[in-house]
Amino acid sequence: MTAASITCTDLTIRFPVYGADAKSLKKALARAVSVGGALGRHAGVTDVTALEGVNLKLQAGDRLGLIGHNGSGKTTLLRALSGAYEPDDGSIEVNGRIASLLDLGLGIDPSATGYENIRLRCRIAGLSSKQIDARMDEIAEFTGLGPFLSMPVKTYSAGMKGRMAFAAATAVDCDVLLMDEWIAVGDADFQKIAHKRLLKLVERAGILVLATHEAPLLKLYCNKVMKLEGGVASEIVDIRKLDQLLKT
Amino acid sequence: METATHMLRTGQRGALFQFQMALRDLRNSFQRIGLAWSLAWHDVASRYRGSVLGPFWITLSMGLMVLGIGFLYASLFDLPLNEFLPYVALGIVFFGVMTGTINEGCETFVLASGMLSQTSLPMLTFLWRTVFRNLINLAHHLVIVVAMLTFYGYWQTANLPLALVGVLLMLLNASWLALLAAIASARYRDIPQIVVSVMQFAIFMTPVFWMPSRFGKHQVFLDLNPFYHLLQAVRAPLLGQSVQAHSYVVLVAMALLGWLVTFMIFARTRRRLVHYL
Repeated sequence: MTAASITCTDLTIRFPVYGADAKSLKKALARAVSVGGALGRHAGVTDVTALEGVNLKLQAGDRLGLIGHNGSGKTTLLRALSGAYEPDDGSIEVNGRIASLLDLGLGIDPSATGYENIRLRCRIAGLSSKQIDARMDEIAEFTGLGPFLSMPVKTYSAGMKGRMAFAAATAVDCDVLLMDEWIAVGDADFQKIAHKRLLKLVERAGILVLATHEAPLLKLYCNKVMKLEGGVASEIVDIRKLDQLLKT
Repeated sequence: METATHMLRTGQRGALFQFQMALRDLRNSFQRIGLAWSLAWHDVASRYRGSVLGPFWITLSMGLMVLGIGFLYASLFDLPLNEFLPYVALGIVFFGVMTGTINEGCETFVLASGMLSQTSLPMLTFLWRTVFRNLINLAHHLVIVVAMLTFYGYWQTANLPLALVGVLLMLLNASWLALLAAIASARYRDIPQIVVSVMQFAIFMTPVFWMPSRFGKHQVFLDLNPFYHLLQAVRAPLLGQSVQAHSYVVLVAMALLGWLVTFMIFARTRRRLVHYL
């Protein structure tokens, strides 16, 4: 039994938005010279508060659905949970191995072969070369691409690419699974087996955090739901109260 | 994704805390040093994919350049070929590794933005990726170095252990310069252009293609050029010459001070770097 858990306390994340202007050294120098001081140096850098005071407590067995309009902070929260964004205030604590399936295209090199890409993706995910060797057959079989795996990925169709990326990304063991939209790739047949594989992964993982706009998906996979609005989170409620939450 | 099973991120500030977090990044990057190797190998392999000679294009193009410049300058300056050709070959090879590391340092974080913005991989992993990639290039160039030293009979007098110390000092210094370039380039997109110009200028100002003895009474300018010391520490032992003691003082001091300052900058900007990209 895994003792996976996620705790966020008063999590606040602010983005400094460096305009196209601010990235030029000339502008920065000009500002430093003509204005000077702390105020001058901060000119042109706008802070956007992406998450504000989010409190979150999840334990093994929790499947949290994140809802909210575009730009409400869902992806930011997922990235913060994956460890990429650090809080400006508050804290995030995650127990357990994290797998973030935020972007299937992560680390894909189109000129490399399918095998090489699977290997690279698994290395990034934290598997050792030995572990990858041990799993390669299973991953290769799952993609159903057979001899095509020895060809460069750029020769693949979008669907084939999706199959390859999906198989590699889901070959991990994890306790906490982060997903931005439920992943659906490939044709109807593949979607069926992909669905099963993903469900198995979710079952093995203690915690799932899934951001999506689709209510049916939420009802299917999640047992809890949280709504984000302009970076402010609602309380976590039972999935049966989803309709109520959607109306507010 | 993290292999560790516990992750704690807080909004705590303060110089000490930031320094500890930067140290942790460094530690994690060493723990997963194999990943940096894999990425570096992948970079080299994918650059030469589909070409017949593969990575040996690195060797071939370098060999052609060395021969061309060697023969031309030897006759222009009226220098004996057996002295000048190995001299220039070693100069170009080792200066090239230094330039490559620093120039590619600029793209270190920018190219890794995808991975940095959705995983908790240590940032310094990508610095080691750049350094390793250039080490792999150097390994291909070593063919030329060995050929030159053997052909012109420098093998007996070459001081290999001392040359290795020189390579180590060069890597230590090039890697902090690369990290500094990486941080600055992530924030300001003009930096790569500046770095390329400076390194181009440096290759002509440093005795790569010419002998320092020709410099006459302007020797003092050589001592002020850090690249001169970096290059001498590797090249001189291989050619059976001695390295001036003060070169080592300069190099060690530069490595320590450079890493200290750059690491402080890294500690201060680390949290923000992902937002720069």
